[in-house]
Amino acid sequence: MTILSIGALQVDRAGIPVIRGVDLEAKGGEISVLLGSNGAGKTTFLESLSGIIPARAGFITLDGTALVKLRPGARAKAGLSHVEQGRTVFPAMTTEENLKVALHPDADLKEAYDLFPELLQRRTVEAGMLSGGEQQMVVIARSIVNRPRVILIDEMSSGLAPVIVSRLMRAVRQLADDGMAVVLVEQFAALALAIGNRAYVLRRGQIVYDGDCAALARDPGHLHRLYLGDAAA
Amino acid sequence: MKHASFRAAATTALSLAVLGAVILLVLPKYWVFLITAVFIVGIALQSLGLVTGRTGMISLCQMSFAGVGAWVTGYLNLIGAPGGLAVWMLIGGLAAVPVGVAIGLPALRLRGINLAIVTLGFAAAFDTVLATITFPGQTSFTQVARPEAFDSDKGYFAFVLITYGIIAVVLEFVSRSRLGAAWLAVRHSERAAAANGISIPRAKLSAFAISAFISGVSGGLLAGYLGTLVSENFSMMQSLALFAVATMAGAHFTLGAIAGGMMIVLFPELLRRLNLPQDVGNVFFALGAVQALSTGETIAETWTRLARKLGPKRVMAAATSAGTLPEKTAHPGGIALEVRDLTVRYGSVTALDKVNLAVPAGAVVGLVGPNGAGKSTLVDAIAGFLFRYDGSILLNGKPLEGISATSRSKLGIRRTWQTTRIAPELRVGEYIRLAAGPISESELESLLAWFGCPGPDTPIATIDVGTRRLLDVAGAVASRAPVILLDEPAAGVSYDEAMKLGERIAAIPQTFGSAVLLIEHDMDLVRRACTAITVFDFGRVIAAGATAAVLDMPVVQKAYMGVEFEEAAE
Amino acid sequence: MDSLFTAAVAGLSAGGAYAILGVCAIFTYRLVAVVNFTGAAIGAAGTFAMVALFELGVPLLPAVLLGIAAGAAAGIAIGLVMTTWFAGSSASTKAAVTAALLVGIIAVGLRLTGGQHPHYFPEIIPGSAFRLAGVEVTWAAVTTLALSIAFTLLTEQFLARTRTGLQLRALSQRPMAAELIGIRVRLLALGVWAVTGGVTAFALMIIAPLRSPDFSSLSLLVVPALAAALIGAFSSFRAALIGGLMIGLLEGSVSAIGAVSQYRGAVPFLVILAVLLWSQRGARWDEAR
Repeated sequence: MTILSIGALQVDRAGIPVIRGVDLEAKGGEISVLLGSNGAGKTTFLESLSGIIPARAGFITLDGTALVKLRPGARAKAGLSHVEQGRTVFPAMTTEENLKVALHPDADLKEAYDLFPELLQRRTVEAGMLSGGEQQMVVIARSIVNRPRVILIDEMSSGLAPVIVSRLMRAVRQLADDGMAVVLVEQFAALALAIGNRAYVLRRGQIVYDGDCAALARDPGHLHRLYLGDAAA
Repeated sequence: MKHASFRAAATTALSLAVLGAVILLVLPKYWVFLITAVFIVGIALQSLGLVTGRTGMISLCQMSFAGVGAWVTGYLNLIGAPGGLAVWMLIGGLAAVPVGVAIGLPALRLRGINLAIVTLGFAAAFDTVLATITFPGQTSFTQVARPEAFDSDKGYFAFVLITYGIIAVVLEFVSRSRLGAAWLAVRHSERAAAANGISIPRAKLSAFAISAFISGVSGGLLAGYLGTLVSENFSMMQSLALFAVATMAGAHFTLGAIAGGMMIVLFPELLRRLNLPQDVGNVFFALGAVQALSTGETIAETWTRLARKLGPKRVMAAATSAGTLPEKTAHPGGIALEVRDLTVRYGSVTALDKVNLAVPAGAVVGLVGPNGAGKSTLVDAIAGFLFRYDGSILLNGKPLEGISATSRSKLGIRRTWQTTRIAPELRVGEYIRLAAGPISESELESLLAWFGCPGPDTPIATIDVGTRRLLDVAGAVASRAPVILLDEPAAGVSYDEAMKLGERIAAIPQTFGSAVLLIEHDMDLVRRACTAITVFDFGRVIAAGATAAVLDMPVVQKAYMGVEFEEAAE
Repeated sequence: MDSLFTAAVAGLSAGGAYAILGVCAIFTYRLVAVVNFTGAAIGAAGTFAMVALFELGVPLLPAVLLGIAAGAAAGIAIGLVMTTWFAGSSASTKAAVTAALLVGIIAVGLRLTGGQHPHYFPEIIPGSAFRLAGVEVTWAAVTTLALSIAFTLLTEQFLARTRTGLQLRALSQRPMAAELIGIRVRLLALGVWAVTGGVTAFALMIIAPLRSPDFSSLSLLVVPALAAALIGAFSSFRAALIGGLMIGLLEGSVSAIGAVSQYRGAVPFLVILAVLLWSQRGARWDEAR
């Protein structure tokens, strides 16, 4: 079932058109993988979905509710969650404080700790002191404590060791299996394609590939051309 | 360029002369007296516009500077110094200069807000001091003598108008000079200004000094206007009100300064005639200033925009290749830029780890790698924007350690930014001259034509952001520096334009003589522009060599796409 | 020497008020990222509301409480302007807005309070507390001192221990991330404006009888307040507390020295100058620019 639906989205950043007409549907229980090299517009795309920057044209609906005119806080309340790139923990607050700062009164931290049990023993450590992987876990856990419908995850593997990336990928798969719609933005294609359902490739603000993750994973040459340019050119 | 300055100056002088003649001939004496105050306040507003509107530093003590000028004028009058008011007010202006510089000094290298605090503090302190020492002649009711030739109210109006005209014309020239462009550049982005070889302290201090001088002169004029002064004339509230009006009207424009002067002088007059309390004016000024700050447009700018809309459309021509480009600049051969074992740490994070890199003279070298690999940090280090790093950076074999960003830029390392930082108030030609120093009209035209930029008279505000990025590159190239660092010049540009830009970048060394280090993500562009590339990941160089060969290396593909596919399939 | 000591102690109550104002300035800067030039003017609005009510015959205690509420309301009004139109603006634009608003608030304030027309300021906390080495220490001085210390410590504890405090810390550390996880940032910001408005109003009520209590002089107490905040580098509440007290003591001492007593109003400026010159020793490139 489609939870998040995006159509003809156009977004400018500092006056430059960055997203030039993108359509995308995210279904519950599925991971939509959005690939593309740096500068393709992936982060801008996610930021326009969560309301950090306004969209110039197009629509965004979540379970039929139009989001385009809402402020970021209202979109969060509607069930949209955004894990920004750069591991945005509140550095001078402990792990547990990070998790419970926006916790709804009748929700608890059980699911967060179920997802990442390794955070339990780091509860009282200031988030700024955690390792990169742990910080990423805190941010992901923090974004799901209020049971969102959709979670947008931006470049969570950037700068992390492969073993930790695999760990995070498994957790993300688990979120989707629990029914959430996941939009996963990644520069590292292989692992994301391995856990994802549907793949999109963004280039200069437009979708240049839209199809099955498995199919794209089987054709690395195709992806290579999309990423590293056409050697024949 | 020069003739544009003369034309603008002549227009200002002529329109002031006509305006003055009309006022003197048509209006009754009372109104002439009132309007004299408009121009005196207009001068004070221009002085504030210079620091706040043009250079972007909040000054809340402008009337205190005027007070210094007035006090000195009053003192010279009292002791009967030779030269009369014209000389006294100049000396008063000069006396305000060291005060302005002293106030500006502590805020030179810190955020602009600190200047707001220190100037407000000074205004408060000056109030106290002035209330204690009083104005020379205040107690004995000694009138400040006006110049003999301008003694009547109408005559004094002419004297004030001439002073206003001289200041306006001089400011017109200064604002169109490289110094004026530097002020705007500093206001818009200090880092970008430094990258163009501008000394930030010098730009700021010159703005403070000139501003204090003009303000001091306005104080001297006020002394002659009123005859006797009280400290209330220069109180902190006057400074604050002046700030609000300058913000609302746009005091860095001649039009805005006169409009602001009219508001300050005539609005209370209007309220008085309507039997309304006069302090309503300040409420109106405050609301107007807040409105201007929220829209980002002052009254002067609104009028200019509307006038432009009503007037005939001026089509801005694209630059035509009028002349030919001069020969490429001869720089030493060999390695133009060399980076040796560069290490940068932020706290416990190592952003760059023993990076080595060489850009040979006459080459375009690409720098690629995933997000967060450290590419922009490297550019910051080379251009002098990092406080500390280990290792060394050499320009034509000479180490650059301990040299500031401004000086590195002058030595010949130019950079562009990921987002354009050109002050929108400039024109295309003014920006290129700011970046490149004095270059001939024909070189300017042909350079712009080579890049496909709009003509030199086009206001930056009217061109799209993609073209501004191109102008960034053009400015760096126009400086003819031996080394140019381009940080993602094609971001946000369409595919076709990016490819065109790639070809132009490839031609920079043979056309202009500069070597280029290019950060770019679009591999098609990199393949077109670069003869060699260096690949970064996790702050380390993971591959370097000829472009096509490096891009085919498995280690590079792994950096870009994560683990290799064979691994992931398992 | 004795007179110097007397004067220094007299400066203490002013110092306590400066400290409270300075802590409020830091509170506003850290939590809603505004260097607020209207801080003291907001408080002055509350103080004069109290005086007006008192002159109308309202008993002192309710008048004081309503005055504090008026200060909070004035704070919210400024907060609404800032959060509605300037939420995304640069720090320097926000400062310019508050500087411009200060002009308007003082004009309105002077009009409503009858300009320099004298008002009767009831001494909220009258009398002498005790004598110290032959110098009379007033209750007002003791109260402002205690209040400033209590307010500083309470602020720290509130931020450290309550849920709202936790959310405020999140807001100050990463405003966008806080908004993205559903923290009601605008409501919190308005709460900050309300609290600083109310607290400032109360602090000014205590010291108003010691000042030339017209609306504009009270509003311009923002200068020593910002000087105290600068001593705290706009981040440390305790340093601002000590800074504010020191400015008060210094002012008091200066006013006791005959030759320079007229210039005590210049003390905050000299403090600002000294702090800025000291703090820019190691200044480097500001990332934001």
